[in-house]
Amino acid sequence: MKRLAIAAAAAFVVLTGAAYAQTTTRIGTEGAYAPWNFVNADGKLAGFDIDVGNELCKRAGLQCEFIQTAWDTIIPNLNAGNFDIIMAGMSITDERKAAIDFTADYSPPETSSFLSAAATAFDYNALKGIKIGTQGGTIQAAYADANLKDGNTLVSFETADAALADLSAGNVDVVLADNSTNQETVASSGGALKVDGPQIPIGGGVGAGVRKADTELKTKLDTALAEAKADGTIDKLIVQWFPERGPGPYYKK
Amino acid sequence: MGDGIGFWLEYLTNGKHLAWYASVQYTLIAALIGGVCALLFGLGGAALKRSSIGPLRLIGSAYTNMVRGIPDVLFFLFFPLAFEQLIELLASRSVCSAADLAANVGVWPPCPAANWLLTQTEYLILAGVSLGIVYGAFTANVISGALNAVPRGQLEAGRAFGMSNGQVFWNIHVRQMWVYALPGLSNCWLLLIKSTSLLSLLQIVDLVRWADRLGAPNFNRSAGLIHPDWRWAYYLALLAFFIVLTFISEKVFAALTRWASKGMAVGAAT
Amino acid sequence: MEFFAPILHDISLFARPAVFNLYFALASIPIGFVLAVFVALGKASKNPLIARFCQGYIYAFRGSPFFIQLFMFYSIMLAFNLPLWKPWGIDWFVLHPLFLGPTILALNTTAYTAEIFYGALMTVPKGEVEAARAYGMSRWQQFRSVIWPNLIRIAWPAYTNEVVFLFHATALIYFTLPVIGDQRDLMNTAGELFEKDYNAFLHFSVAALYFLVISLCIFYVFGLIYRRLMRHLPEPPRVKFAPRWMAKA
Repeated sequence: MKRLAIAAAAAFVVLTGAAYAQTTTRIGTEGAYAPWNFVNADGKLAGFDIDVGNELCKRAGLQCEFIQTAWDTIIPNLNAGNFDIIMAGMSITDERKAAIDFTADYSPPETSSFLSAAATAFDYNALKGIKIGTQGGTIQAAYADANLKDGNTLVSFETADAALADLSAGNVDVVLADNSTNQETVASSGGALKVDGPQIPIGGGVGAGVRKADTELKTKLDTALAEAKADGTIDKLIVQWFPERGPGPYYKK
Repeated sequence: MGDGIGFWLEYLTNGKHLAWYASVQYTLIAALIGGVCALLFGLGGAALKRSSIGPLRLIGSAYTNMVRGIPDVLFFLFFPLAFEQLIELLASRSVCSAADLAANVGVWPPCPAANWLLTQTEYLILAGVSLGIVYGAFTANVISGALNAVPRGQLEAGRAFGMSNGQVFWNIHVRQMWVYALPGLSNCWLLLIKSTSLLSLLQIVDLVRWADRLGAPNFNRSAGLIHPDWRWAYYLALLAFFIVLTFISEKVFAALTRWASKGMAVGAAT
Repeated sequence: MEFFAPILHDISLFARPAVFNLYFALASIPIGFVLAVFVALGKASKNPLIARFCQGYIYAFRGSPFFIQLFMFYSIMLAFNLPLWKPWGIDWFVLHPLFLGPTILALNTTAYTAEIFYGALMTVPKGEVEAARAYGMSRWQQFRSVIWPNLIRIAWPAYTNEVVFLFHATALIYFTLPVIGDQRDLMNTAGELFEKDYNAFLHFSVAALYFLVISLCIFYVFGLIYRRLMRHLPEPPRVKFAPRWMAKA
């Protein structure tokens, strides 16, 4: 009976998994964090992460496929083997390094800032009694939990879009997020939103996450990334997706 | 005015919206799989409840009472995860080496080769089966009651004619049961199609997930049209969709009841 | 005993979240009950406008999933934030899950309960109502003396089921409304604990245990109320075959 069950299970796994598991490298991304990764008007995944991912795969000779997955379970899913690389605007932090490995950063370390409605003003040195929105599981959420909890209400959202929706509806007072994303949002908001307050350095650049055991994959990606940085491809992509960040240079010497 | 309508028509039929309309298939597939499974589990559960063997009656009773105590959401989330873990556990017994297992205590899966990659199709089937198990308990109650409602005289007449137990059961008992069962079954079906709205909780990109994505405010030019929070409009559309689905289901069940009550001495008979 | 230690630990972790589920249920049951009576009477009303409106309300809320109703009402309330709630200064209250959750749940349960009450209303014995009219009772007296007692007795078993389903539906609230601070309910907690150690069997089973126990309590309490409602009827015979000294004289 036990052998029958194992045989059935093995057959199931083989039928559903083996067809493409060995040949295609699966990259997990969130798809709800413009301009890093989002679903465009044609219903396809697009964005900075997708372009960088495709570039790295081309150089490393890998057959890549992007998978959309929820942000809050992205690391457990990587470790479980549901995909092989994470490219979702994920910042390199020591806490995350305990669970997974990162390649070198493909977006330089940057600060996080407060996004708020244009007509509001807060004393950012002594924030009290305001509602701060963040996306759950991000470095900004961890920072807010550690430093801004006293006297303020922290609201955690499933996606960055939901945090922005509540901000524009006036339900939260500020949203703490990556500065580059905030600048893009402000530029498209037609003056309704602004970036205010201090620039807080959190996190060490955005890198691609891989499982700790996948050292070979990490080496391949790092080599490809170094090449792409050296010949200016990464710089070009940063300027293309983040026009508000300035012309650089970021990696090309 | 013409420009306005033209713009909206184009916007509402761009790739993202078409993907939304296409995701209706997930709802319908999950509902169909769930419905078939619910009917099968319901017939099985009713048979267990009416069995002459005590322990089987206990199992049937426990099964049908399960839904009185456990929310369907909880079971809906639990069953696919538990099933996946069970398969991975069995697979790891044969595929993983002892060294891997020792190294990965407390980590799941026990070794990478034992991981069962689940795509949307597998999650959809698992979701359908899990819906079938939950609503099978409701259906078992309904079918059990309907089997009791068939007049005894009909069964006795069958026996008097010399029909075997099996013939009496299938040709008379079950055939006459449907008209008593259909109102309850229609209720179960309506609950089931409303539960298909929960598919997005299993990471299936269904109607609700797309509505959330399409309606969420967009502030990035490269991501498409810049628009404020339109989610309420999309959810209103989903609400209307489910009400229409309910309406159609009610009409279908009314027709089925008319068919099943032909020649029967019940109020619904034509 | 070692086997039970994680189970007992989980049970203690789920205790506080269970309170949130209970709060949502207890906050919406009374409102739903009272409104349902009005909506059921409205559906049976002679006024076609009121009857149609109540019928449409019941059809809309019973025909659509509660999950989507939650999403829709939250986004509608959010859309009204800048024009209405903020100027009136009540946005902190109106958009809070502890207010919004019971509100939407109450709207939903009103529809289901109203349908149950309407069905019961239709089966109130006509003769009793006519007798009350013949005695010259006013509409209110008729309702209080004849219609209401019959209605509540006929509807009570189905209403018990509806209350249990309402309690189950509270599991969905924190999937759709934002989580503020460290408010958690049973499903949230089960999900979070599962993410940490992938022990689906333990965490979801303990959450199911809480739901089961509370559902059984609801059945028991409502059963007691039903016995009190039916106290005018003789008790069903308890002992089938009794020795002579036990049998009633």
